[in-house]
Amino acid sequence: MNNAERLELNKMENKIPTKERIIAWPRMGRIDIPLKALLVSLGAKVVIPPPNSNEALELGVKNSIEGICLPYKLNLANYIMALEKGANTLMMFQAPGSCRLGNYTKMAQKTLKSMGYEFDMVIFDMYKSKMKQTLQAFWHVTHCINPWRYYKGFSLGFNKFFAIDTAERLLFYTRPRELHKGDAEKCYEKWLKITDETNSVIGAKRLKKQIIKDFKKIPIDKDKKVPIIYLIGEFFVLLDPYTNQNIEKELGEMGVEVQRQIMFGDWLEHVLKPSLFYRKESHRERSVRYASDYMKRAIGGECIETVGDTVYAAKHGVDGVIHISPFSCMPEIVAQNILPKVGRNEDIPIMSLVLDEQTGKAGYITRIEAFVDLVKRKKLKK
Amino acid sequence: MNNPCNLKVGIPRAISYYNNYPFYYGFFNHLGIEVILSDKTTTKIINQGAKYVVSDTCLPIKVYVGHIINLLDKECEYIFVPSIQSTGYKINNCSKIRGLPEIVRNVIDRPFTMVEPTLDKTEGIGLFDFCVQTAKFFNIFDKKLIREAMHAGWDVYNNFHSMTNSGVPYSIAIEASTTGKSAGRPVDIVKPLSVAIMGHGYNLFDDRISLNLIKKLEKMDVKVYTSLDVTSAEAISSIENLGEIQYWANELELTGTAAHFLLDKKVDGIIALSAFGCGPDSLMVDEIAYHCKERNMPLIHLTIDEHTGEAGFVTRIEAFVDMLMRKKRAFITKKSDKFISPDDVNVSVPQEIPVGSAK
Repeated sequence: MNNAERLELNKMENKIPTKERIIAWPRMGRIDIPLKALLVSLGAKVVIPPPNSNEALELGVKNSIEGICLPYKLNLANYIMALEKGANTLMMFQAPGSCRLGNYTKMAQKTLKSMGYEFDMVIFDMYKSKMKQTLQAFWHVTHCINPWRYYKGFSLGFNKFFAIDTAERLLFYTRPRELHKGDAEKCYEKWLKITDETNSVIGAKRLKKQIIKDFKKIPIDKDKKVPIIYLIGEFFVLLDPYTNQNIEKELGEMGVEVQRQIMFGDWLEHVLKPSLFYRKESHRERSVRYASDYMKRAIGGECIETVGDTVYAAKHGVDGVIHISPFSCMPEIVAQNILPKVGRNEDIPIMSLVLDEQTGKAGYITRIEAFVDLVKRKKLKK
Repeated sequence: MNNPCNLKVGIPRAISYYNNYPFYYGFFNHLGIEVILSDKTTTKIINQGAKYVVSDTCLPIKVYVGHIINLLDKECEYIFVPSIQSTGYKINNCSKIRGLPEIVRNVIDRPFTMVEPTLDKTEGIGLFDFCVQTAKFFNIFDKKLIREAMHAGWDVYNNFHSMTNSGVPYSIAIEASTTGKSAGRPVDIVKPLSVAIMGHGYNLFDDRISLNLIKKLEKMDVKVYTSLDVTSAEAISSIENLGEIQYWANELELTGTAAHFLLDKKVDGIIALSAFGCGPDSLMVDEIAYHCKERNMPLIHLTIDEHTGEAGFVTRIEAFVDMLMRKKRAFITKKSDKFISPDDVNVSVPQEIPVGSAK
């Protein structure tokens, strides 16, 4: 179809010679560490935009339209900051059919061009044949033909993703139980730094074990009864500590173990690995299975994951669920409509938090505190 | 007709009703299923719907749920809630429209059978599969009959569109097409101004949601063009000519219509009508606003929600129409000045051109 062809056409711009490319991508959680490792081992120069902050948000809000969702505003700010720092090639994945995410790149391209920047946008599609698309995109920006480098890059990237995920999971477990406040946080920061600096495949493969070993050294109160709260909701908001106002830390300090089902490494493995090699049940498949009483079809975004995870949580003895989403996120509004019924049927407390650029921290914390109190009291009754 | 054995299906007068009702009507009628429509949207229906869903949900969905309640009050057993996922390869709908059956199933806890077929052309579920899925709920499995019914649906649909393309207003055309008649085109009165409205059918043709926008404009002596005046082929080609890509399933109604009138310059201004918090609209209107700015076309973006006051709404439209009128008057006087002004005579003298343009 004509429309589909046009969609393909716009994807990979090729105006800047490969040798002069300086690559940047929007921030989401700790995606910068593995991606940097991958691109550097392919022989590319990279620029990492500064972490999301109020300043970045302001920049994004100023240059985007009112009705668009929060992640776009931050992405745009990342692009602008990276371009200011000298980047000339912007990378982004898109998934048409999910939600407004599929329009992000198109809009950002137009906005940035009208602001007078000159750059190449390289987009890789996450619809079907993802691995091929991804490899194509990375070949396009680097023109690297050495297969060893691809192997090194991808294995470094993946292992770093897994290392970060492991560190995060352990952090969630240790933080509410630690005897000296701040130990877990320090350990996490230390390992992030080490992960970033690791440069060999063997070293990267060893990271995971080392992290587990190191976290075990932190003195914890093993018998402490800690309520478990699931964090579910929109992908970006969950992974970006600035946007969700570091909800994981706040909850951890209130003595709650946070568990998050959406982890970047897992998601990426499921998306990129050919289905032939991916044997276990992916997170999405599990969600579809658990959500089947409430939803019969996926409707884009992370709606079905949200509902499925809530049911999963209720069936596995989790004490409460916090659902976070950016303001006016379409799939999450559908999820918000479904969740009250899930909460009633499965007997699990659920709180929905909607975040936008005007969310005040004080009111936000009050709501979380009230919810945690409720969950703790419910746990005591049992 | 009042035989209780007769199969009846309720269709809510919201969302896809405004685009596809002629098709649904022809289809169900051929299968021998009686169609029951909900009442026209009233404030009561909106309030009823708003009670069931969370407050962040957009107005059209609240209206939709209200209509379902209305149908349940009419004691409908079967209610038709289609999930239109995508209407072309990688041309998807808004999540809330895709998830209509999911929302309805989980917010309303009254017993009824929901007829919930899926149309998803990205995944290869075409219109015929959609019809087969629909018929399954009524225990009709005869594929030949279903195919015939689909064609009957198309007949009514095409009849409706041939009428609207010739300029018959929406409400007359929908009545004529479902009763099998054909309505003639009303007398065309030449009006000084003309505007195109870009907006979803379910916002624009619902008199309560759009607060009678079309009639209000016609009272102000403005000729109104809507998505019904543009064929889908025209809309698709104008999107292409504007250098855009169709991303949303509803894009033809919005970007397509606006692009068509933007390119052929038949109108003096464009009005964008969208519900508050509408995801796709926020992008599409922005896209058109960008092109309008480039081509010097006035555009106003009207946002509606359940609290929209009629007075403020009218003021905004009046101001926009006044502005268009002044612009047009200035344009015409300037144009007529050009023919008589003595400056134009001097153009042939080369030295005086800069002086003239400096003025």
